[in-house]
Amino acid sequence: MSKKRSADNIEGKLKRLEEITNTLEDSETNLEDSLELFEEGVKLSKECFSILEKAELKVTTLKKDLSKLNNLIEE
Amino acid sequence: MSEVKEQIFSVSEITKSIKFILESTFEKISIEGEISNFKAHGSGHWYFNLKDEGAVINCTMWKGVNNYVFFSPEDGMKVIVTGRVTVYPPRGSYQIDVRSMKPSGIWELQAAFERLKRKLFDEGLFDEQYKKSIPAFPKKIGLVTAPDGAAVKDMISVAERRFPLVELVIAPTKVQGAGAAENIVENIHKLNYLKDIDVIILARGGGSIEDLWAFNEEIVAREIFKSKIPIITGVGHEVDFTIADFVSDLRAPTPSVAMELATPDIEELKNFIKDSYSLSCDLIEENLNEYEDDIEQFVNSYSFRFPFEKIRKFSQSLDFSTLKINNAIEKKMNIISNKIALVSKSLEAHDIEKSLKKGFALIKQNAKFVTRKKNYSVNNPVTIKFYDGEIEIS
Repeated sequence: MSKKRSADNIEGKLKRLEEITNTLEDSETNLEDSLELFEEGVKLSKECFSILEKAELKVTTLKKDLSKLNNLIEE
Repeated sequence: MSEVKEQIFSVSEITKSIKFILESTFEKISIEGEISNFKAHGSGHWYFNLKDEGAVINCTMWKGVNNYVFFSPEDGMKVIVTGRVTVYPPRGSYQIDVRSMKPSGIWELQAAFERLKRKLFDEGLFDEQYKKSIPAFPKKIGLVTAPDGAAVKDMISVAERRFPLVELVIAPTKVQGAGAAENIVENIHKLNYLKDIDVIILARGGGSIEDLWAFNEEIVAREIFKSKIPIITGVGHEVDFTIADFVSDLRAPTPSVAMELATPDIEELKNFIKDSYSLSCDLIEENLNEYEDDIEQFVNSYSFRFPFEKIRKFSQSLDFSTLKINNAIEKKMNIISNKIALVSKSLEAHDIEKSLKKGFALIKQNAKFVTRKKNYSVNNPVTIKFYDGEIEIS
């Protein structure tokens, strides 16, 4: 794992964003918590947007004879 | 008795003659027949019979030439083989050394397709319960496809547009002709060993039934079924259904659609984020307004105002009392100070009277008592005050 791809992060972040709006919709949540969640949500939105804006497609080709792969298969 | 002396052959001699006659006569022939007893030996050679209603003939097809057959022959399939007759003296048998084989008609392939479909269906390979779900946010997608075809280009551009966060791992694959099925199997297998592939797309652009045949092969179907990674198929055009489509976890009508099914749409994600953001803003504002209303209501409520009223009343009565006290004290002070003035005056007077009674007298000039020599003026009139009266001397 050289460079951590952000796809899993964005999945988590989007889920969290949904959770936050659901909690905010819940009238039982107190003001202090709501404000904290709101702040978190705004931060998350910005992060997600920046991840999506910066994304660049990566294309690699599986080599015909991967020695690493062959070792794996033999194991 | 015949005069002609019968020619007697040894077994070898006659076999040699037969071999010569047969092999030279049938050097290149094509035969149509139905396959039976088909065996693909571990060595790579094929052994089978061709038959029709009246006869059977043995056939062999060697490894190396059978590589070029694009489909897997099976019992019952009607084929046309091309080859030559060979004789095997040690066993006294003859056979066809097959050089090429093709289905005797497109319907043969259709029939093979239906047979395999039926068989795999009965085995449960198409059952919904085995279908793996496709992850919503793939990190890596493996592409089992030709590296230079239109299909791969289409898929790359779809991924670029829809979800550029993904990484595509292309496994360059032979997708038609002899060996294609084996190559597809190998690459699905390899991608499974990579561990970090989230979904595999098995794809090929449109073509004839022969072109797409690899996707109807049993080994491909079984490898798709075996794969731990979910597989989406996008083979040919919308009308083309292959065995691979039935066994895969999700069937797409084309390679491009396969990529669409494998990736979330970035525009939708952005809209989701925007919506969540504005919804959060609305909710928090609403929430704050509610609190504001609550506070206002509370502040205006009687019970909240009551203490202030009480304080106001207290302070009013305090003011009133203070005023009263002040007035009373002032009055008393006035009386006292008047009394003091009176007493002190009489005291003062009483004092002088005492001295005068003893015989002292006071000298007054200009209505003022002269108590020191330096204050005395010779030229002014003088009044002498005695106990019993005053004398004026001018």
